[in-house]
Amino acid sequence: MSGTRRYFWLLLIFVALVQSAALFKMVYDKDRLLKDGREITMPVKPLDPRDLFRGDYVTLGYDITTLNKTNAPEGRLADVQTGSIAFVTLSPKPDGGWTVKELSTTYPKEVASGDVVLKGRVHNAWGGAGAYDKVLNMRYGIETYFVPEGTGRALESKVRDHKIDAIVAVGGDGTAALKGLIVDGERHVDPPLL
Amino acid sequence: MLTPYKKRLAQDLDRWRSNGWVSEEGRSAILADVANSGRDFNLPSALAILASVLFGFAAISFVAAHWEDMPRLGRLLLLLASVWAGYAVAGWLASKGHDMFADAAILFSVAMFGASVMLISQMYHISGDPTDGVLMWWIGALFAGVLLRSNPALALAMVLVCIWSSMKTLDRNEVHWPFLIGWAAVTAAFIWQRWCPGLHLSALALSLFVISLGYLLDRGHEHALVAILGLVAAGAAIAAEKALPEFDSVAAPSLGYAVAVAFAGLYGLQFFEDPTLGTLIALAALTLVLLLAAISYALATGNRGVLWLGYIGFSLEILSVYWKTVGSILNTSLFFLIAALIVAGLAYMALRLAQRGPGKEVAA
Repeated sequence: MSGTRRYFWLLLIFVALVQSAALFKMVYDKDRLLKDGREITMPVKPLDPRDLFRGDYVTLGYDITTLNKTNAPEGRLADVQTGSIAFVTLSPKPDGGWTVKELSTTYPKEVASGDVVLKGRVHNAWGGAGAYDKVLNMRYGIETYFVPEGTGRALESKVRDHKIDAIVAVGGDGTAALKGLIVDGERHVDPPLL
Repeated sequence: MLTPYKKRLAQDLDRWRSNGWVSEEGRSAILADVANSGRDFNLPSALAILASVLFGFAAISFVAAHWEDMPRLGRLLLLLASVWAGYAVAGWLASKGHDMFADAAILFSVAMFGASVMLISQMYHISGDPTDGVLMWWIGALFAGVLLRSNPALALAMVLVCIWSSMKTLDRNEVHWPFLIGWAAVTAAFIWQRWCPGLHLSALALSLFVISLGYLLDRGHEHALVAILGLVAAGAAIAAEKALPEFDSVAAPSLGYAVAVAFAGLYGLQFFEDPTLGTLIALAALTLVLLLAAISYALATGNRGVLWLGYIGFSLEILSVYWKTVGSILNTSLFFLIAALIVAGLAYMALRLAQRGPGKEVAA
């Protein structure tokens, strides 16, 4: 640190400000997405919890987590590979839930009213050659729900026994954020921070 | 605290003094000079750095506990206040001349910054890519390390680059090339700081990355590439040592990492692939000869790191070959016979070379 001593206080304040600003931007972006984004609900399928450094959480699966020819337009599946970004256009089903109407590598130019576009990343793509059908494993950034320590197992069994819907906020560019859960018709949503 | 070098120098000086080669004034002057040179890593500073690391783990576990008795905003403000408090303490300590303690306080702040990133990720259920949080953390650590010229913060940045990259690699099971960008950025900062332990950290991280290539590229069958990269690097290190003696302090340790990489590649070829017995014997013989060459080069140039790596590699190689061929005792026996003959032959050659050395001088 020698040589910088004269400006050391200024540098310290600068570093602290920049780091604080980065944290604030992280909070602001997410908060705005939750407030302004379009709110949709999706049925949830449970997976497994817990991570030593990230605390208790429940991993949530959706109907659109796995895409194949039974639930997505078949021709479009060939366009995407592992790691690529994909936009999934969803149409509401009359009985609740969503069907995949379109799958594209860029944000669709026209979106019918009522439809919603989610931006996802292809976590894994396999098959597609010969006799095997192509299967995509998607991530939308809404797969992890953090819960207070010790309550993960309880929520997990609830997900198994009861009907749970995820409340998802979707931004104008397709970015999705998990807002909360609806367990047996009861809304669990944290109030916005800012 | 006495470093091993200072301890040995003091002992040698006592002997040289009693032999009359060094005067008493000379002895005191040398010891005083050595005592004042360099920034020593003393016990209080080491403990302060360790305390910062523990504070960091405490904060991250606090976030993980998701303690609901304190509102989310309160938790975030607490962590943010810790970031600022750490920097304030660093400024105060630096103004008192306690540079190492100030470094520990900066490390504390950088750790709190990381805990804040994690808390925000948790508050907004940001999932899928926890690696994005680690990315932000290492950039924050590098930023603080460069601007405040803090070596511990830079070391943390390098460790975080490695964690970030390993998480990406485990998630996708393919090579994470952006590692090289993070690695180069932190290494450049180490070079700018002229911080030797940091450069060792860089070399270690790069070696592990190169070795991982063997297990990731071509569906895990690229150990030959690792071996070749290691051998080329070793050749370059030896050439640099010969051609540019003033860079000896860089070339000599680099050789150690190159030898380790080359050995890891050859080891993978022999024991993680399925070579035929003939190929295995050829590769094992090649590995042993190269390790013996490394050992003899290390003895000739006084490179203790390479010497130990050579011994460890040699033992590991012999043991692994033994396990691999244990099914057929005759093959095992044959292998050890050949190895013994090679080593004995080399010992004889080394003896002849050693005898010829002084012999020439007599003749001349």
